[in-house]
Amino acid sequence: MQKDTHLQTIKADNFVKAFKTNNETVLKVIYKENYRRVELYIIQNNGTKHQAKDIYQEAFLAVWKNIKNNRFFPKNKNSINKYLYTIAKNKWIDYLRSNDYKKTTTYSKLNGLDIGQLKFEITENYTENNDKLNKVMLSFQNLGYACKTLLTKFYFEKKSMKEIALELQLDVASVRNKKYRCMQKLRKLVLNNDNEK
Amino acid sequence: MKNNYNISQEKFEQIERYILMNMYGKELTDFKKELKTNKQLQQKVEEYRIIITGIEEQSFLNKLDKFHTDLNPTKTITETPKIFSFTKYAITASITLIIGFGIYWFYNSSNSNQRLYTKYFKPDPGLPTVMSTTNNYNFYDAMVNYKRENYKLAIKKWEELLKKEPHNDTLNYFLGVAHLANNNQTQSIKYLKNVIKNKNTNFKDDAYYYLGLAYLKKGNTNLAKKNIKLSNNKSKKDILEKLEKR
Repeated sequence: MQKDTHLQTIKADNFVKAFKTNNETVLKVIYKENYRRVELYIIQNNGTKHQAKDIYQEAFLAVWKNIKNNRFFPKNKNSINKYLYTIAKNKWIDYLRSNDYKKTTTYSKLNGLDIGQLKFEITENYTENNDKLNKVMLSFQNLGYACKTLLTKFYFEKKSMKEIALELQLDVASVRNKKYRCMQKLRKLVLNNDNEK
Repeated sequence: MKNNYNISQEKFEQIERYILMNMYGKELTDFKKELKTNKQLQQKVEEYRIIITGIEEQSFLNKLDKFHTDLNPTKTITETPKIFSFTKYAITASITLIIGFGIYWFYNSSNSNQRLYTKYFKPDPGLPTVMSTTNNYNFYDAMVNYKRENYKLAIKKWEELLKKEPHNDTLNYFLGVAHLANNNQTQSIKYLKNVIKNKNTNFKDDAYYYLGLAYLKKGNTNLAKKNIKLSNNKSKKDILEKLEKR
């Protein structure tokens, strides 16, 4: 595994740039570096592995959004790590205090100790995101593989039409046309979701 | 009132250029001017802005899932190159055919035990671990390992504690379920049996259930049935029905 020492020397604005361009290498290193610590915290505080994953990804999403929207300007990798951990911790504490968190207590199995056993039901919640955006995200997941891949390459990986054309072994005009058709397809799916409500 | 008509590719690409900030000079000034007065255009721009944001965000989440699976790399199977030898191949093939039928008959019954086990086995979720308690810190410390599926370490720590309290049914119970989750049915059975010796244990139902599953995994359907009958698990009826059919 390559050491990430070179990441340590990246300047602040390059980190911001990496996040804004969805640089996969940087995102991956930060993701892998911070997960275990968050997992440990959540499991030590009544959580499960599954919950740890969900909370961590929600927190990571929040960090990514805040950097993109210039609400957070990390000075170095350590400040990103700290920020991510803090957000995850707060999200977990919020969850434990929320109304979504239903408890049923059954008596402890422990001999001599009086701790109640808590069972949790987790209800799905889309915090922060607005309704329309959620519809788009759901519909996107239901797009076919070809459209999904193409749109990911362009809008997320920020590859140029030329690059994508090379990858797909087509000419640029065809790729542009495919992208247009995929977008119309997605739009239709979103509108159908709307009409079903 | 919604505008459901499709726009042309050209129009779409223009709106996209604007949203992605790839529009400059005269085109940009003209577009902004039109946007001020054209409500339909405003709506379209907003619509596509949300779509593009949604695509980016969902792609991002999909990437996170990919990163997550990379956290626990599965064991790599290394393939050693084999020198193909026809005679060797022929002999192996014929032997396989001869005993194949016998094995098929034998494994058919034990495979269904395995399948039944896999269908109904779920590791005990463990006890809540609020680390502020100073009592029984070592027990809960191992519980954290157990929940993170680090069964070997949990077992090591609990076995250490068991030395001082060999009859503690909590310790025996969790050692039993940890060994079972770690695929060691023999050890699991040993500890779970200790649990049921105590008539008043709170773990009685679950201990009988997991004992039954452990015997099922070992292929002993009689003891599996016997122990599951003594349990009170919600899956009890289904498993017994399936076992009775044989």
